Amino acid sequence: MLPALRPPPPAASALPYTYCSPPRAVPARPKYRAPLEADEPVKEAARWANLMYDRRVVRGNTYARQAVPMCIHHPSVFEIQRQREARRKALARKRAEEQIQLRTPEPVEGREHVHVQTELYLEEISDRIIEVDVECQTDAFLDRPPTPFFVPAKTGRDVATQIEEGELFDFDIEVKPILEVLIGKTIEQALLEVMEEEELARLWAHQRAYAELRNAELAEVQRLEEQDRRYREEKERCKQLQMQMLQKEKETMEKIAAQAFAKRYLADLIPSVFNNLHESGFFYDPIERDIETEFLPWLMTEVEETLEKKTLGRVMLDSLIRTVTEKRLDVFSQKPLPDQTEALAEEHMPTDSEPQVAAETEAADQAVKADEETDQPPDEEQASRHITFQLEEADQEEMEDSETD
Amino acid sequence: MASTLISAKLPPDVDPTKAPIAFGRRALPKLNREIQSPEVLTQQRALMALCDLVHDPENIYQAVQIGFLENLKILLLHHDSTVRQKTTEILYILAMHNVGRQGLIQNAVIPVLTELLDDPEDICRKNTHQVFDMMAKLPEGAVDILRAGLTPLLVLKLKTESDEIQELILGTLSNCLRVEASEALATDAITILKEKLTHPSVTIRSKAAQVILEIGTHPEGKTTVCEEVIPLLVSLLEDTDPEVQASAAGALMFATIKPKGRCLALRAEAIPRLLKLVAEENSRARLSAIKTLTMLAEVAEGRRKLLEHTDTFQQCLRDPSEAVKRAAEIAIRVIQWKPF
Repeated sequence: MLPALRPPPPAASALPYTYCSPPRAVPARPKYRAPLEADEPVKEAARWANLMYDRRVVRGNTYARQAVPMCIHHPSVFEIQRQREARRKALARKRAEEQIQLRTPEPVEGREHVHVQTELYLEEISDRIIEVDVECQTDAFLDRPPTPFFVPAKTGRDVATQIEEGELFDFDIEVKPILEVLIGKTIEQALLEVMEEEELARLWAHQRAYAELRNAELAEVQRLEEQDRRYREEKERCKQLQMQMLQKEKETMEKIAAQAFAKRYLADLIPSVFNNLHESGFFYDPIERDIETEFLPWLMTEVEETLEKKTLGRVMLDSLIRTVTEKRLDVFSQKPLPDQTEALAEEHMPTDSEPQVAAETEAADQAVKADEETDQPPDEEQASRHITFQLEEADQEEMEDSETD
Repeated sequence: MASTLISAKLPPDVDPTKAPIAFGRRALPKLNREIQSPEVLTQQRALMALCDLVHDPENIYQAVQIGFLENLKILLLHHDSTVRQKTTEILYILAMHNVGRQGLIQNAVIPVLTELLDDPEDICRKNTHQVFDMMAKLPEGAVDILRAGLTPLLVLKLKTESDEIQELILGTLSNCLRVEASEALATDAITILKEKLTHPSVTIRSKAAQVILEIGTHPEGKTTVCEEVIPLLVSLLEDTDPEVQASAAGALMFATIKPKGRCLALRAEAIPRLLKLVAEENSRARLSAIKTLTMLAEVAEGRRKLLEHTDTFQQCLRDPSEAVKRAAEIAIRVIQWKPF
């Protein structure tokens, strides 16, 4: 509503006048709402509108106007219905009072009045009027369409130029390097990072597989080493045992051999010892010994004596014979030579027979030893005496030699 | 109406935390210079940019050529934790490529990294252990780590670090101990590993069993393993995870080489569990289980028990893997061997 205009106070007063609400002209209401996508709220609300064309101003007679409700209160449907009902009820009351007289008589006993419709087509009567609501609505107000593009009036001459496709540049060809660089760089970076990770992942997987294999092989190697070590130790031990056994066998065999040999070697030790002792005279027959030690020396001495006697006799005889022959020689020395040569021949003959005689005497006197000096038949030749004595000495030496043998 | 912003979204690559990269071949030398600057911020930005660049193997090659690693070594001991963290990350990415690994070995970076084992920052330590893990996978790297005397330190760290880092340490140890086990044995690694065998985490259990496997490849390790760990390993054969089973079977494979280990394993009822592992078709533990059973078959009792189960090995002869077939043949031969 238009604010009441206060007349300005007359004359001057000390205070300048101020309005509670300063008067202002009502700005025009725009026909259309402001579009929603405006950047800024529209500052100026259009120009001041013309009062004559303002819809809010009442037109026509103001003195003969119908009563306009003060409040613009649109009653709801329900309220409208209630008002109408109230009016109807008032009317019905009025009519009911009128129609009391026009009532039909009371029904007979046992019967009832029933209102019946007698038309052809029955009607349903009800207080309530059948109502059907029909609505009608105008379309929602449209938003203001955007201002059409202002095309100023054409001035000047039209000149047209047209660049056909392919004249300036071939987009497909030109865009390629740019695209390549763009996409290339992006993909390069992405590839780098992906490659890094992939490379690493593959390396680790490869390394792990390799490590597994390597560990397995290493374990195998060590196991075989261990096995080998065990076998070797076993072998060594067996070998040692074997060698010891062999050693023992050898010793035993040697011992047995030595024992057998010693047995055999010493088998005839005792007999030989006894033999030797026997031979060296340890076991002697006492009688024999007795005979040997006593009897025989006595016998020998007796024999010696006897032989000495014999020898003595022979020596005596020899000396006798010598004396005799010396004498004869002296006698004969006065004789001529042929006797000498015959004496020489006779000397030779007895000298020849002497070894035989010596041999005979040796043989004969083998049993009787000792100092038999001569057993030759005494030589009667004096000339031969020296030679015979020499020969006798030689023969005696021979005999002594043979005896001492 | 026009506004001063060209577009509502920022251009994609403007990251204020990274240094701008020069074009082409000049990128790395420029970053090399920036790294040596006295300002911490410049260093950090350069490191961030470098971190992205080293994903490309060509850049790694160039970096190693220019001599980046010397400067990175100096930065490892910087007082600022971000610098250290980024440096270790870069070293980790370098270690993932062969060229980088060779560069790390040649420039002797590992002894310097040893200092970082006690770093207060978790992520620095984690990156350090990741570098060690990667390096250990290379034989020369493993030798390098051993020469730097890291084995006792790592074994001690096993007790104190978090689970993730423990996995990395166990991986490093398993690769290093493959070469040489005496140092680890001196620091009593077996006791610590025994605890880890009963850890709730699956990865840790399987990796600990791997480490024990590698220790068992050495003669002096075998004795220690025999004495203490065999019953635990046998119980792990029935673990739910196939990885753990495979590692445990492998560790047993080496532990049963010695006669003493064999007796212990037999007494711990290893044979039925191993037979179960062999019977599964796709088990990864198949090869190791067959080998372990071969070891156990060297003993008379084992042979007796296994004579009844030769059909399981017959089945293995049809396995697609060549190694498994050979192992099954050897096993059958050993089981049916008679002393006479």
